[in-house]
Amino acid sequence: MSEELAGLTVGLIGAGNISRIHAASWKAVGARVLVYSLEGAEELAQKYGLEVVASREELLAAVEFVDIVTPSATHKEITLAAIEAGRNVICEKPLTLTASDSHEVIDAAAAAGVRLYPAHVVRWFPAYKAAYDAIQAGRIGEVAVARFYRQASSPAGAGWYRDVARSGGVIMDLMVHDLDQARWLCGEVTTVYAVQNPPTVDGVSPVNVAAHVTLTHESGAISHCRATWGATGTTFQTGFSVAGSSGVLKFKSDADTGYKEELQNGATAGDLLIPESALGESPYLTQLRELAIGLRGGPEPRVVASDGATAVYLAEAARASMESGQPIDMKTFVSTGAVA
Amino acid sequence: MSLKVAIASFAHVHAGSYAHLLASLPDIDVLSADPDGAGAPDPGPRGAEFAAQFGIPYVDSYDELFAWGPDAVVVTSENSGHRELVERAAAVGAHVLCEKPLATEVADGEAMLAACEAAGTILMIAYPVRFAPAYAQLRANVEAGRLGDVFAILGTNNGKIPYAARQWFTDAKLAGGGALVDHTVHCADLIDGLTGGASATRVYAAANRILHQDKGVEVETGGLVTINYDNGLLATIDCSWSVPDNGPTWGGVSLQVTGTNGSVEIEPFVAHIGGTDAAGEVFLPIGGNLDASLLDTFLDAVRTSGPAQPGQAPAVVPQPDGAVGLRTLKIVDAARRSAASGQAVDV
Repeated sequence: MSEELAGLTVGLIGAGNISRIHAASWKAVGARVLVYSLEGAEELAQKYGLEVVASREELLAAVEFVDIVTPSATHKEITLAAIEAGRNVICEKPLTLTASDSHEVIDAAAAAGVRLYPAHVVRWFPAYKAAYDAIQAGRIGEVAVARFYRQASSPAGAGWYRDVARSGGVIMDLMVHDLDQARWLCGEVTTVYAVQNPPTVDGVSPVNVAAHVTLTHESGAISHCRATWGATGTTFQTGFSVAGSSGVLKFKSDADTGYKEELQNGATAGDLLIPESALGESPYLTQLRELAIGLRGGPEPRVVASDGATAVYLAEAARASMESGQPIDMKTFVSTGAVA
Repeated sequence: MSLKVAIASFAHVHAGSYAHLLASLPDIDVLSADPDGAGAPDPGPRGAEFAAQFGIPYVDSYDELFAWGPDAVVVTSENSGHRELVERAAAVGAHVLCEKPLATEVADGEAMLAACEAAGTILMIAYPVRFAPAYAQLRANVEAGRLGDVFAILGTNNGKIPYAARQWFTDAKLAGGGALVDHTVHCADLIDGLTGGASATRVYAAANRILHQDKGVEVETGGLVTINYDNGLLATIDCSWSVPDNGPTWGGVSLQVTGTNGSVEIEPFVAHIGGTDAAGEVFLPIGGNLDASLLDTFLDAVRTSGPAQPGQAPAVVPQPDGAVGLRTLKIVDAARRSAASGQAVDV
C-alpha cells in the first residue's frame, strides 16, 4: 500500500495478455480497480479482485484515471474518449499506431488539461535503468555503438498480432521497446534503416520473423535493434551491449540475473510474452506506481507522452525504410498516418 | 618429402602464429622475408629479428624468397600488398594461404583469383573462426535442418583495436579502411559457410569514429553492417573495435542464428575453464588452436594436390577459398560505399 496513492480508484480497460500484470500491480499498491473489456473482464476480475463495470462510460465516470491495455489499434479511440471525459490516461505501448495519431491524442490531452503517459515499461527494468544511470554518470564515456535485442515466442496464436493494421507488426509491437531504449540511452535519432525477413505480405506478418533496424543518433552514435518473433515456445529474452569511448556495458536477460530455472514433470511453463523479473519488485509495478504518482501531481515520471509518440514515429520510419529500401532521414520524415 | 613453405611479410599479427606452427611441424622447410618491416612504425621486432624470435630462416628480399621455389606461400602482408604477393606466388606455381581480407579492392581480388586459377594453385583465405568447434557444430546443425529455415543472423566481431602491435590496421590505404574492413569479413565468412555461398544483394552500413578518438585514428572504429542475401537471409554484423584496451582478450566474436525451429548462438572464444590462481582470474581456453587447424587444412590440401598444373584446378580446394574471399570482400566494399554515401548499396 502506497501512501501517495491512498484512496485510488483505477479504471482498467482491456483484459488481455498484459492486463493481468497490470491488475496485480494496481492491487499491490492498494488501489480499487474497475475493469471494462469486451471480453475476459469477469475472469480477470475474479482472479485479481477487481470490479466489472458494464460500459466504458460507467467506468470513466467512476475512476480517477484509466489504464488502457487493449489491442494497439484501439488505443487512440479509447484514449480520446477518456480525455473527453476529463480522465488522465496511462496507455500501454505503442501509444497509437502512427505518430500523427499520437500527436492528435497528445494535442487533445493538452487542450483538455489531461495527463497522458505511455507505458514503456522497459525503462523500469533494473538492467536498463542501471545502464541509463551509468551512461549519464559518464562511466563509459561517449556512447559509440549500441546493440539491443528482444525475442519472444511468435504471438501468432493470439489473433491480432499478425494483422499489421492492428498490431503494427514486429517492429511496432516488440521492437518499439528497444527503439525507446536506443533513444533513451543514445540520444535523439537522425536516420532509421530497417529490414525484415520474411517480409510482410498483404498486411499479414509472417509467423516467425526478424527485423533489424539501424539508427544513427544526433551525437554520432549508431545503434542496432533486433526483434524476433521466434518459433513457438521461444523463451522471452532481451539484452544489450553499449560501447562507449571508455568502456562497454552488457546485459543478457537469460544469463545475468542470478536466476535460472529448468523445471520438468508438469511444472507450468513461464509466460512466453511477458517476462518475469528475478530482480526484485516487478518492473510493471514500479512503473505503474511512478506513473500514478505523476498523475497525482507528483514528480514527472521517466516516460512522458512525447517519448511514446517518438517511439511510434521511429517504428513508422522503420516501416517506410523497408518500403523504400533506403534509410529514412528523420529531419524530413512526416508521419503519413497510414497504419500498414 | 618435405614441403617448402614461405612466409611473405610479418606485417600481420598472425604471422607470428604461423611462423611458430610451421617451425614446429615435421617435414616442413620454412623460409621467410619481410623486406618492408624495417620501415614500419611498429614497436615490436620485424624482419630478421622477428624471424630469429621464432627460429625460422630469413632472406632479405621477396626475389630471394620466390627464387627458393616454395611449394606454398603464406601471405601475411598489409591488406593492400596481398595482390602483388599472391600474383608472385602464383607465378612460381606456389599454393597460397592469404590473410583476410582477400584484398582492399574488388578488382584486385578478381585479379588474384584469375592468377591462381591460371596457375592451377590453391588460394585459401585465412579465416580461422571457420575452424572453431562451436562453428562446426552450428554448421552441422544448420545442414541437418535442426534449426528449420534460417531467416536471420546477428554476428559480432568486436575485439580490441589492433593498434599497439601493428599500426597499418588503422591506415586507410594499407588496410583498405578501419573496423568495417578488419572485422566485417570474419562474420561474413561464417555466414557464407552456413549458406553454402549465398551472395549479398544489398548492404547498408553505418559507421563512426567515436571509439579510440584519443589515438588519433583516422579510419572508422565502429560499424554496423546489414546485409540482404539472394536467398532472402537477413544479417547484421557489428564490426566495431569496441572491446576496450583494458577489456578481456577473449570473446568478442559471436553469431546468433535464428531459424523457424529456434536459434543457436555461438561464441567461439568463450569455451574455457575459469577459476582463480595466485595472479587473479583464470581463463584457460578449451576451444582448440584455430590457426593450427586452418594451417593443417591448407597443408593437407597442398600435399594432396601436389605441384600446381597451369590451367588445371588443384585436386583439393580447401575452404574457405578465394571465391569466399571475393564474396566477403564485395560485402566490405559495399559497406564502405554505403557508410560513405549514407545510402543502402546494391551489390
